[in-house]
Amino acid sequence: MKRRTALWAFAIVLAAVSYPPHWYPETLRLQLTRLFGASDDRPLPPSVPPRAPGAGAEPEVYCPPDPEGWREAHEIEGVTIERVDSCVADNPWLLAASVRGTNNVSAETLMKSGLTADAVEVGADLDGDGDPDEIHIRLEVAELNGGSAIVPGPVTRYAIAPGIEPGLWVFAPKLHGMAVENIESQQARPELRLPSPAIRVEQGDRVRITLENSHYMPHTIHLHGADHGFVDVTGEGNDGVPLTSEVPVVPGAARTYELQPREAGTMFYHCHVQPHVHVQMGLQGLFVIEDNRPDNWVQTLNPGAGQVRVRSAESRAAYAAEFDLHYLDLDRQLGERIRAHNDPRLITRSMHRDYDVTDATQDYFTVNGRSFPYTFRESLVTGNEGDRLKLRVVNGGVNGIALHTHGHKFTVTHRDGVPLPEGLRTPQDVAWLATAQRLDLDLRLVNDGLNAYGPGIWLFHDHGNRGVTNDGIGPGGNISAIAYGKYLQSDGWPKNQGVSWDNYFTAAYYRREVPVWHNYLPGLLDDTGTDRWLLWRLVGLALAGGILLALLWGAVVSRRSPR
Amino acid sequence: MRHVAASLLAGLLLCGFADARDENQADPDPMAGHQHHAMSGDASGTVMNANTDRLPRDCAAVGEEANFTIHAGREHAAGRPGHIFGMSQHEVRVPPCSRVSVTFVNDDEVRHQWMVHGLPRYLYPGGMFHIEVAGGHQRTGTFIVPGEDRTYLIHCDIAQHMEKGMRGQLVVGAGSGDLWGVAGISDDFYRSSYLPGATWAWLAAALAAGLVLGFALLRRPAGSAEK
Repeated sequence: MKRRTALWAFAIVLAAVSYPPHWYPETLRLQLTRLFGASDDRPLPPSVPPRAPGAGAEPEVYCPPDPEGWREAHEIEGVTIERVDSCVADNPWLLAASVRGTNNVSAETLMKSGLTADAVEVGADLDGDGDPDEIHIRLEVAELNGGSAIVPGPVTRYAIAPGIEPGLWVFAPKLHGMAVENIESQQARPELRLPSPAIRVEQGDRVRITLENSHYMPHTIHLHGADHGFVDVTGEGNDGVPLTSEVPVVPGAARTYELQPREAGTMFYHCHVQPHVHVQMGLQGLFVIEDNRPDNWVQTLNPGAGQVRVRSAESRAAYAAEFDLHYLDLDRQLGERIRAHNDPRLITRSMHRDYDVTDATQDYFTVNGRSFPYTFRESLVTGNEGDRLKLRVVNGGVNGIALHTHGHKFTVTHRDGVPLPEGLRTPQDVAWLATAQRLDLDLRLVNDGLNAYGPGIWLFHDHGNRGVTNDGIGPGGNISAIAYGKYLQSDGWPKNQGVSWDNYFTAAYYRREVPVWHNYLPGLLDDTGTDRWLLWRLVGLALAGGILLALLWGAVVSRRSPR
Repeated sequence: MRHVAASLLAGLLLCGFADARDENQADPDPMAGHQHHAMSGDASGTVMNANTDRLPRDCAAVGEEANFTIHAGREHAAGRPGHIFGMSQHEVRVPPCSRVSVTFVNDDEVRHQWMVHGLPRYLYPGGMFHIEVAGGHQRTGTFIVPGEDRTYLIHCDIAQHMEKGMRGQLVVGAGSGDLWGVAGISDDFYRSSYLPGATWAWLAAALAAGLVLGFALLRRPAGSAEK
């Protein structure tokens, strides 16, 4: 009995002592203040450095080296390939083979291109103007960052930004050899990437596009905005729409789409099977129809869009450079579904029945298949003072984008591939692109206070707040820049004058593990330590509470069954 | 019972075995180009690193002549639920030092590959022998296997083709143990879940039944002891 009383007393005293004084009722606290004044200073917990400062947090190399000299100007198979001023460039042999035709280049060029001998077959010059007018393109479907029953983590890996590898499906040029650079890292080879390649043909060309469906789901190609018949000459469907024109291309099968476009313009192509899912998975690309000009050898494939290095006669006559800009937003939770299972039946159910696009939100915002900071490696718009640049922009995303240029006002010359009348061509610095919309922009680097404000590294991005983040962490998304030559290093990396980008080239940053200003305000606005003083008091309080509960239980039991 | 014991043993050794999933893929020089070596071919297909006469170091002479015709395509995955692509034969067994000729027939309209990994690099750049065939075509390629008993990975390295069925193994001599995930030969290392949605109800019912049974068994002997 004595022990019980002592325990009661101990528990009550422990509770009273542990109870944090700043949790007392406010009136009591004020009374105490009148008697004793304020409590002594108890410093707030110190700032703590970011977690995991070890090897995993080392920033990636900003600008990867270019050992094969892909950025340089080249003359291959008589094709002049323009230099790329930014860091990462396409394989120039692939570009040359896509211009001359994989059926017309040397075995050496073909091997260096990575393309199969029938990837881009070029035929006769039908109008006798010095360039070929029969073009046969073969495309496959590749899955990036997909699942496996053998290895953990994604296979055929493709990062849009440090540590961010969303599941993707893309149309891919027909390449020989392995899908990966090496089987240990599982890194996809450079040509297997987002977005699907931009395709360029000439107005009036007889174009055949064969979809060789190497994927495990049905797919089609729908030529959005490009002049094509609903059926081909044999009466077979040619619109790529399973509802109305033809049965989709099943896994392992192939189908050829045909068109002879009468009008030029910036168009679009995409899969039309379960399009609410397949289009946003990445099965979409730019389809550019250039004006028919003499001796006009166009760059049939532009892998990953970006700078056009073999330009059409029209582009060369009017512009200093041309860039394809393909915007696409992605839903992380949709992409994850392709690697949640390996069984394609389970994937099909997950993507096409469990996934509800009406409840979905987009998390990643890419331009030319990358999000910031990778956009600065390969999707800069580069030029020099006085240059006139042509930008062909498509928004393939679920949401519209408000494309904004810093330091410049551009003019929209074409909308959805159709030229706008002169009266509508007014300079603007924000342009709205609805889903699937294309705009041709005329960007003049003329320092006159209207067109441009002078050389610099001027951002361009979707001005919508989500679009400049990677799953809500900024900076990210589709931020890229108009970078003038004098602001570029020899390796193509911009001479930024702002903060270090070490954070942004660290996967942990986008995993929300790094305080946003740690690298230039260390300590000031970092994460805080914990309040151990309060924690111990709460532990004491809980201990007292436990003892009191046990005593109460004992009291109740002993009253019910007196010995 | 022996199977159960083997499963338990495998479970205990799982960490050790995990590394053996693709041990034949281990590649000390991963950057060695896979694309540009000793290739012969055209639009219908290519054979890479063919070798009809150079002997592996551990072979005094060519052993047997081993000839195979292997078909690939969607139809060869028929009868294997959850597989999209397949081969007419996912396992190739040859004696050590055999000269292996494979005629790879593509019955689909898309590319397929028959690629062997882990061969000696002094004979096969990148450690691989590779036949690639465009849709509707076929190619024959020949290579000589080493004398050591070993199991090599065969696969198609077009994105997701291995994952969706085109994974096989080349067993030289007695081999060195089955690889995981070979169609019709071995299980997936990571199996998808096929449990029904009502699994929790089954588990809850079983748990309740266990409780009732347990209480019943514990009470009865106590009662009989009092009598």
